[in-house]
Amino acid sequence: MLNYLAYAVAAWVFLWGLYGIVTSKNLVHQVVCLAILQTSTYVLLLAIGFKIGGTAPIFADIPVGTPVVDPLVQALMLTDVVVEATVAALLLSMVVKANEVAGTVDPEELRILMG
Amino acid sequence: MSLTTAIPFCVALPLIIAALLALVSRWIGRRVCDSLAIAAAACNVLLALVILRGVWSHPLIYWFGNWWPRPGGVALGICFNVDAVGAALAVLTATLTLAGLIYSWKIFEDTENHFQPLMLIFMAAMCGFSYTGDLFNLFVFFELMSVSAFALCGLKTLEPAPLQGAFNFAIVNTVGAFMIVMGIGLLYARTGALNFAQVGRSLGRTPADALVLLAFLLIAVGYMTKAAIVPFHFWLADAHAVAPSPVCVLFSGVMVELGLYAVARIYWTIFSGTLAAHEGQLREILLMLATLCAVVGGLMCYAEHHLKRLLAFSTISHAGLMLAGIGLLTPKALGGFLIYVLSHGTIKGGLFLSAGILLHRHQKIGEDHLHGCGRGMWWTAALFVIGAFGLAGILPFGTLLGESMISEAAKSVQQSWIAYAFVFAEVFTAGAVLRATFRIFFGWGEPAPTDKSSRVEEKPETEETRQRTPAAMFLPTAALILLGIAIGAVPQLRGTAEGAAGVFVDSSHYAQMVLDNAAPAPPRKAPEEPLTSSIVRSSVAGALALALALGSVFRKKLAPALNFTRSLELGNSALRAAHSGHPGDYVAWQSLGMAAIGGLFAWLLH
Amino acid sequence: MSSRQRTTLFLIAVAGLAPLFAWGFRNLPPMGDYRGPYGYAVTQVAVYERHATDVVNAINYDYRGFDTLGEEFILFASILGVLLLFRPSGDDHKGKKQAQVEDALPVSDTLRVGMQAMAGTMVIFGLYIAAHGQLTPGGGFQGGVILATVPLVVYLSGDVKTFEAIVSNPLTKLAECGGAGGYAIIGALAMLGGAHFLTNFLPLGQTGDLFSSGTIAVISVTVGVEVTGGFLVLMRSYLREIIEERLQGEE
Repeated sequence: MLNYLAYAVAAWVFLWGLYGIVTSKNLVHQVVCLAILQTSTYVLLLAIGFKIGGTAPIFADIPVGTPVVDPLVQALMLTDVVVEATVAALLLSMVVKANEVAGTVDPEELRILMG
Repeated sequence: MSLTTAIPFCVALPLIIAALLALVSRWIGRRVCDSLAIAAAACNVLLALVILRGVWSHPLIYWFGNWWPRPGGVALGICFNVDAVGAALAVLTATLTLAGLIYSWKIFEDTENHFQPLMLIFMAAMCGFSYTGDLFNLFVFFELMSVSAFALCGLKTLEPAPLQGAFNFAIVNTVGAFMIVMGIGLLYARTGALNFAQVGRSLGRTPADALVLLAFLLIAVGYMTKAAIVPFHFWLADAHAVAPSPVCVLFSGVMVELGLYAVARIYWTIFSGTLAAHEGQLREILLMLATLCAVVGGLMCYAEHHLKRLLAFSTISHAGLMLAGIGLLTPKALGGFLIYVLSHGTIKGGLFLSAGILLHRHQKIGEDHLHGCGRGMWWTAALFVIGAFGLAGILPFGTLLGESMISEAAKSVQQSWIAYAFVFAEVFTAGAVLRATFRIFFGWGEPAPTDKSSRVEEKPETEETRQRTPAAMFLPTAALILLGIAIGAVPQLRGTAEGAAGVFVDSSHYAQMVLDNAAPAPPRKAPEEPLTSSIVRSSVAGALALALALGSVFRKKLAPALNFTRSLELGNSALRAAHSGHPGDYVAWQSLGMAAIGGLFAWLLH
Repeated sequence: MSSRQRTTLFLIAVAGLAPLFAWGFRNLPPMGDYRGPYGYAVTQVAVYERHATDVVNAINYDYRGFDTLGEEFILFASILGVLLLFRPSGDDHKGKKQAQVEDALPVSDTLRVGMQAMAGTMVIFGLYIAAHGQLTPGGGFQGGVILATVPLVVYLSGDVKTFEAIVSNPLTKLAECGGAGGYAIIGALAMLGGAHFLTNFLPLGQTGDLFSSGTIAVISVTVGVEVTGGFLVLMRSYLREIIEERLQGEE
């Protein structure tokens, strides 16, 4: 049962992030909830690649052949982190500009496009 | 130029030139930057054509970094699997980008020379997306495409509406992207691979269990969000309403279609074996989604009076038709999908550029505002009318060929009712464009009913208005619409497309080519069936669209029986209220859609 | 839709999604026992084939280097996007008096001395991390981010003028664009020898040396340069935006 705790955490955080975006009343809060949503994918990826008794995949002072955790999911996660950081930067700049032009960061008040 | 040089340069060259343009943006003038960007896009068109010619008869596998797969079929590197379908989509991408860049020559508003590099990066990302053969590489190019799209969408920063549109676009698409990552993680957990062929071979033909189904659900929903399938479509209208016209061309012309291409590619290379036992049920689920999309898109299209939102909803409707092409799960339908994408992309691109010409000349974009203003712009009116009939899929257009292949494939799997969905979508979308043309360019009838959305985005995207449409704006528009006709005239197109689709769907042979260096099999040319029933259907659709448009325009003068057109134009209030502009609403619908489709998968496909 | 309707709709969706996730995740291999050939294969061969001891970076910059090229351009495109969004609008920047940010912040002595000490250490640390990408955990992205935090540390130490000078330096643009374009050019250079794009064509050296693993080290440094330049350009445009807001606030 405990073996699956990390996967359950990943699903839990994913759903909470979605809940945050849906019920948010502030655009900055929505962007942060998006970042939280992303962390659920990190948890899932790293949990998938874990090996009990494995060490870090750096062979500087251990011989090749020692059990190590999966390096590939760590590489995928690095790419993911950069992607998330850049998307958040772009979204936050949109929010800053929206505040400057419209004077509000509440999505309810910013609903100009509709129908 | 050999093929192995052309393939990486198709993606790397625009990236390098974009970096260069961004570096010297401060010191070179507007004209130099535009010229360099146009030259880069033109080079890309040539490269994409060279590649298409090279892979016409057999696909080519290109391994980056010389990392060929290990014996036993373990792929450690990333490969590009270039076949005719992907290469054709790349040619479409490059052509639309070239048209957009020529259109924005000199007249377009000042962006400190940052617009051109972003367009080049967008183009490179879409080309890479069409070629790749690796799951995570597909995701990386998906994100690159999305980030450039978000930035380009929010270009006009002086009004709050573009920022709202770009923000909604970004939130919904990024949620979809994270679903894709989860799906990739789940597939990796099961198979330990990221290459399409290796994952497909590892899943093999063992029946899909809950994990594989969940992975398929997550990945399909993520890519369908990009493809604007109902109920993941809400972002599209907002984004199109505020993005500049050349960017709208790329969104509707190829970005949305690439989402569908990804679903098809992933299904055929990875899941076609495990889901083979439930192919019929999956087909029904996908066709149901496609019909819902076509109907909702068509109804909302007719109810819109903001020209760009109208065209955006017509894209959603046609995306439903293209999903039907994929959802039929046969090579013939997939060939029809390819032809439909190519001709729809160019026609829709031409229509968006024409709407941009109207915005440039009159600084207005609402159908009620523009009533009668277009009198005298006969060439642009002609383009609108031709484009509308292209959407209806009548005789000289490529859309007719696509529709005929999809309908024939539907008949062969006892789903021939899908042809009626085609007629419905064609009538409403073509009718809406014709109605707008009659009101704007001929000034017939009463002005359109006002709705709130048509007031949005009345700011010009060009710096100065002129009395005549500049050639740099008109020529790409006309060229795109004519291309939509020219595609229909290519000889043996249907047979070739079906042959290319046959190669696309052959997953075991694909796996052998990628992992074992097997020789590719030549595509078999399929016999072409006569077009008569399609011609009849599309002519009926075209005539009905014309009648609907004329009925709406002249409803006061003609019989009161035509008052139903007024309610069609006002639209269903519940449906319109659902498109509320609030990103939380959109994500809620997205979650509900995912839960519903997931429930169907669990019930029918397990 | 009202807020309550939206929440209700979402909770209905969760009632479907949560069981779906539970049902699907049940079939995952239990945590701690990853299967699959990809990870095992790479850990066996990476050290021998590329003389790199950090397998994660060997994957990032060599085996799956093309992904990292795309990722780098995602960073580049989003910074271009921020520059595009924050561009000065029309008549704002013609002949206006420059609003200033203050020259110095009033900070406590502890903060000032601490941050000044940290700034120097962080520069060295960031360079060390970026240069040792193929040997130890770290690499271009991580080192670049550390280096990009240095101006913020300088700002926190109260010295706003130096912060402005660092981020407004024209070399930052060169670093960003040169880093991004440079990665693609390194990949293209590999093709001169007839190999495929992004092949590792430099001599591999001795495992464990600073100059080993061929292009992995070079790409790591290039990425570090781009990330540093990119974040500095980002800071500059945010600073410009703050100045503009103050200008508008004063009117």
